[in-house]
Amino acid sequence: MFDILIASFPLLMRGVWITLLLTGSGAIVATIFGVVIACAQLFGGIVLRIAAEAYLYIVRGVPLLVLLFAMYYALPYAGVDLDPMSGGALVIGLYFAAFMAEVFRGAILAVPNGQWEAGRTIGLRTPRIVTDIILPQALRVAGPPYINTVIMLVKGTSLVSIIGLADVTFVGRQIVERTLAPFEVFGGVAVIYFVICFALSRCGAYLERRTSYVH
Amino acid sequence: MPFDIALITRIVPALAEGLTLTLTLSALAIVLAAAWAIPVVLGLMSRFRPLSILTRGYIEAVRNTPVLVQMYFIFFGSAMAGFRLSGFTAGLIALVLQNGAYIAEIYRAGIQSVSRRQMEAGLAIGLTPGAAFRIVVLPQALRKVIPPLGNQGIVIIKDTALVATLSVAELTFQARMLADRTAAVYEIFFALALFYIAITSIFSALMRLVEWRMRVVQ
Repeated sequence: MFDILIASFPLLMRGVWITLLLTGSGAIVATIFGVVIACAQLFGGIVLRIAAEAYLYIVRGVPLLVLLFAMYYALPYAGVDLDPMSGGALVIGLYFAAFMAEVFRGAILAVPNGQWEAGRTIGLRTPRIVTDIILPQALRVAGPPYINTVIMLVKGTSLVSIIGLADVTFVGRQIVERTLAPFEVFGGVAVIYFVICFALSRCGAYLERRTSYVH
Repeated sequence: MPFDIALITRIVPALAEGLTLTLTLSALAIVLAAAWAIPVVLGLMSRFRPLSILTRGYIEAVRNTPVLVQMYFIFFGSAMAGFRLSGFTAGLIALVLQNGAYIAEIYRAGIQSVSRRQMEAGLAIGLTPGAAFRIVVLPQALRKVIPPLGNQGIVIIKDTALVATLSVAELTFQARMLADRTAAVYEIFFALALFYIAITSIFSALMRLVEWRMRVVQ
């Protein structure tokens, strides 16, 4: 039963590479944009806050697949010549940025207000309060939910197979069409995702242990 | 290509053909996932070790793999095994298996958030363990569970779009057909996004109503 998986191993690995590439670039976009949205929500003026809320509202209400389709169909009409890989990473990043924003916002809000006041009392300016007092404490809290969001992102990258990017799910479908062995191939694909996600969640558990306070 | 707002009035009826399927699938998946999560959480919290380990294995397996791959596994796998499931059924099973695992964790967190002393107090006034759980613990746990359950419902509604890849003619599938036939892609995907935003907004308004009725304190 494993001979199909062994025979198609090089193909699957090429798919894994695309999946990892999308995960990495998507996570970078999501993290940067997530921080921007969280900052807009927490420290922005009324206009920025409304813009951030509107963005979150839209992303929470629309499926990732619909956004990917919109990118795939609409960009060529708009005259934007973006290769599918960058387009996919961008859409995935912007989508999961909404979840990242939640993570960062929650983490910053989890730092007690007294910490801000204490910083001000000893005469620090706001940027230094943020970098020296708030962020070190907030990042501890953010670790585990951040990893959870990255795991969601890994699973989300499987949708790019629908718009024709040759990630591991797409390669799996192609192999199934040739070999008619859905259990072995999709089982193998599932195991590949499991290894990636489970490794990430172990990292999350490690982070949680390393960074938690001793109570 | 300019955005033609007048086209929306012609696109909306065409998309609406897929609305019933999206709503049916969403409702079925939410109800069945919430129901399936009950035996899962019982298995998870069981004192019989093999059962709790098995349940934990199931939860980790579905939570660490994409629901799309699960759909393919069930859809193409069932055809291979000789009992071809429809795209709708295969999608529904995958959505229930995936989200049932998440909802079981929500139930577990809800039950564990109720202080142990509540159970002890119930036992102290002479209730049987079953009755103490049902009358004392469960009502308090349910209130904790409603808000995250609503969030999971929204995840399910959005994930129903994936059955479009199994040729189920729901909203996203209709939009894609339309986009392949016409050139009005901006209008089509704008209208499609509006449909989903409307569905999820109505759903979360309903959930807030339930929260209010159940006096959920946040």
